[in-house]
Amino acid sequence: MKKSIGKILLVLVPLIIALILLYPTYKASKLEKLKQQYLEQARKAKNPQDSLEIIEKFEKAYGQELLDARANRIKLGLDLRGGMYVTLEVDVLKMLEESAQRDAIDDIFMEVLEKTKQDAKNSDEDVVDIFKRNFDQIARPKKKFLSDYYDFGGSAAESEEDIIKKLKENAQESIDQALQVIRQRVDKYGISEPTIQKIGQRRILLELPGVTNEREMRQLIQTTARLEFKLVRNDENLVAAFYKIDELLKKEKQISKGLPNVPEDTTKTSPELKSADTTKAQSITKDTTQASNRIDTAKQGEQPDTTDPYAGLSQEEKSKRYLEDHPFTTLFITNFLPPNAERTQYQRDVRFYNASQVPKGEYDFEIFEDVWNKFEAIINRKEVRALLPYDVEILRGAKPNIVKDNKGKEFKIYSFYALKREPELTGEVITDAIATFDPTTNQPIVTMSMNADGADKWARITGANIKKRIAIVLDNLVYSAPVVQQKIVGGNSQITGMSSADEAKLLKIVLKAGALKAPVQIIEERIVGPSLGEDSIQRGVQSLLIAAILVLLFMMIYYSLAGIYANVAVIINVLLIIGIMAAFQGTLTLPGIAGIILTIGMAVDANVLIYERIREELEKGRSIRSAIDEGYTKALSAILDSNITTFITGLILYFFGTGPIQGFAMTLMIGIITTLFTAILISKALFQITLNLGKTNISFGQPKAVSSL
Amino acid sequence: MQFFKKPNIDFVGKRNQFFIISSILIGLSILLIIIFGFRFGIDFTGGTEIAISVEKNITTDELRKILAQNKIVPDEIKSYGEKNQFLLRLKEVGEDANRIETTLLSSLKDYSIKILKKDTIGPKIGAELRFQAVIAVLLSIIAMLIYIGLRFEFTFGLGAIIALVHDVIFTLGMIVLFDKLGIINLEINQGIVAALLTVVGYSVNDTVIIFDRIRENREKHKGIPFAKIANLSINETLSRTIITVLTVLIVLLVMDFFSGPVLQGFAFTMTVGVIVGTYSSIYIATSFVLWYMKKVKKINIEEDIAKQTVAAKA
Repeated sequence: MKKSIGKILLVLVPLIIALILLYPTYKASKLEKLKQQYLEQARKAKNPQDSLEIIEKFEKAYGQELLDARANRIKLGLDLRGGMYVTLEVDVLKMLEESAQRDAIDDIFMEVLEKTKQDAKNSDEDVVDIFKRNFDQIARPKKKFLSDYYDFGGSAAESEEDIIKKLKENAQESIDQALQVIRQRVDKYGISEPTIQKIGQRRILLELPGVTNEREMRQLIQTTARLEFKLVRNDENLVAAFYKIDELLKKEKQISKGLPNVPEDTTKTSPELKSADTTKAQSITKDTTQASNRIDTAKQGEQPDTTDPYAGLSQEEKSKRYLEDHPFTTLFITNFLPPNAERTQYQRDVRFYNASQVPKGEYDFEIFEDVWNKFEAIINRKEVRALLPYDVEILRGAKPNIVKDNKGKEFKIYSFYALKREPELTGEVITDAIATFDPTTNQPIVTMSMNADGADKWARITGANIKKRIAIVLDNLVYSAPVVQQKIVGGNSQITGMSSADEAKLLKIVLKAGALKAPVQIIEERIVGPSLGEDSIQRGVQSLLIAAILVLLFMMIYYSLAGIYANVAVIINVLLIIGIMAAFQGTLTLPGIAGIILTIGMAVDANVLIYERIREELEKGRSIRSAIDEGYTKALSAILDSNITTFITGLILYFFGTGPIQGFAMTLMIGIITTLFTAILISKALFQITLNLGKTNISFGQPKAVSSL
Repeated sequence: MQFFKKPNIDFVGKRNQFFIISSILIGLSILLIIIFGFRFGIDFTGGTEIAISVEKNITTDELRKILAQNKIVPDEIKSYGEKNQFLLRLKEVGEDANRIETTLLSSLKDYSIKILKKDTIGPKIGAELRFQAVIAVLLSIIAMLIYIGLRFEFTFGLGAIIALVHDVIFTLGMIVLFDKLGIINLEINQGIVAALLTVVGYSVNDTVIIFDRIRENREKHKGIPFAKIANLSINETLSRTIITVLTVLIVLLVMDFFSGPVLQGFAFTMTVGVIVGTYSSIYIATSFVLWYMKKVKKINIEEDIAKQTVAAKA
């Protein structure tokens, strides 16, 4: 027995590893099923409030678990679950047109563009080069220069080479910018597990599983982003409006519960009200409650009419009642900056009893990621909208702050801003943006420059809003809301306060979205409808399963006990392939499954090679033990050679194929490695264990040994 | 269980007959390819393919008529897998294709149309993919030549390559033939290229197993003429060859008949390729090596002279 321990481990360890790697896949599918049940319940619920609560209940109990499991499970390709696969390319022609000065565009320019379009259709040449050639041929004889059409904000005497260089640069950069915009949009759209990848220098690959409305998606992808500068209006009027929303929601709740409209009667506490998000908001800001207490008491001294309505209640009862009375403002954290205070002196998590208590000053809001949808749903209601200042819109920050609670669990917190609806300035005026470091402080900064028209407006805007904040908004997401330090004349502005170089780079990309349009065109689009996924694909998978079972049966019949051992090795092999793919974030596609089946073929072939050799050796009259040793040794070179040649094919397929073909190649290559391991080592270990157990004969299905067959 | 008990079939002796048969088949394949040409899928030509299913019974002709009334004139309409499922092929891409999709949905609303899948490939990317596919096939052939050349001898590498080129041409010929006969939809797309490359891998794999035995037997039985060694090696590996081909064929045949339209082209190509690959390992690869030794290297491979095996090794 002792002799066998190593061998037993050799069999068990890979099996256990494979099962561990596959566990998240199993768990994710179980949780998905559970989620479907919850969603079904939510759909049946009588009113939206209840259904929202059912969904929240699931999220609270299993949300994180599901996310974790999903992150480590094997992903199914679009062909197996339906969805949209898109390859995008920057539309350089459109970029050439859109980055030209609008009022300068004339017939000559359009003629050049049209010619370029025709030429570019069947050429691999750089479109900007084609454009230049055509410009030289058509426009230049007519005394037109590139500088008549393009103004990149540099010196007046920008040379033609500079402009061409700049155009090329823009074409290069626009892909990053498109990537950023698309990522945010896809994120916002709520597609789970999208793949967004930059391919080479000028392409983006998108895989959007489960997308049903492809038309909407297409529009989302192809619309160019809009960059705007908007004034931040996080003032007392807004916060007062928030408290009015509290009152409205409270009233609605009472009506829906059939209670009379008297606040004192809300003694009945509903457990659902104390939802996950509000308790979280409380716990995370515990350290700042003192600050809020200070304000409350101070206010009491000044304004006796706003006495504490919960006076005399226990602390616990107080916070419970506060929560009930403020269903809206407790969704987020409000920070307060008194007038004339330093920027750093925010009072964290302030709370008031009603709208009349809100002091003058600036505010700042933070909200947990999972609450945002609820928040947005509330503020988009017509009755609620009516309470908010009419010329204001509320937009979320683009990037979250990540905070950890004391258990180390991560939460994403977003800022949100009330912005003046009408933009002060739009992005077309920006000519360039550079992410760099401040030479004196060594802090990351972003500098941006504007054209003459923009610079004039910018001077006026900044002059009128000193010490106020202006938000940089791309695609309705706030990327930064810097405070205006002084009137900026000439358009060259510097934005500081970035926490990292990455953040600065992101802001640069965003600002450049104004300078250069990054129109993208879809050059490849594959959509797999959900019904194909259910029907024909299931058949595909089934047929592959049938094939696998037939092969295993054949092996068992032909090689008897040895065949069973080979089958054990093959099954561990398949588990390992799928497990390793899950670990490497690989995607299982239908061709990928075909790859696995072929691997089974290869694995079976390896065992066949070995077993035929062993049979030969047995016929020569060798003992079983030496026949097995000899068989494995002699078959090895053939197995290696045949697997390496197939591996080479796999490599080439992987580098030259796209999408599904790559999936096939990937499984084939992983499969060959695991095959070499399992077919050679595991089946041999099984034989040795058997022999160590004292068996003197192992049937290889050879006629003289098998009487039953 | 055992299929063969010490087989001793004279493969090598009949190599000339089989060489003639192979030459005829390859000639015919090339002829088929030249006459009919490949039908490239949209992967390589660009265009749009929409697979739809309808709930009411409708024939291809009726469908064509309805579409024509709505000014949709697909290049091709054919059934896709099951009853009342169709594949439409269009030249249009981009916006035009989207417009057609919208019209399609509205004009067949009465039939409860569902889009099963839709692929749109721009003409430029199609050309790129075609280029990549050709490069991939060529590169894999070269890589095989180098590998086998290193592991064995140049002659063996050449034999393996000739066998696999034989397999690829024959498989392509069969693809053209079966596609033309309308038995199954076999336009050249990425899936078929993947299958072809796998056939390349398989064909070489199979050849390598026999060569490996030849290499071993040459060491073991010095003095026996090469032709005999080759025949012995083929016989010794025959039961492995048959069993492996059988298991792979079990898989592929099940895929052929049950896997539906998505994997059918792949499975068909593999089936033809595996059969011809097995045949060519024996009759083309090995025969070529024999021919090369006899005619080019002037080695007497038939007679029992010990010193000539020494020469063969050089």
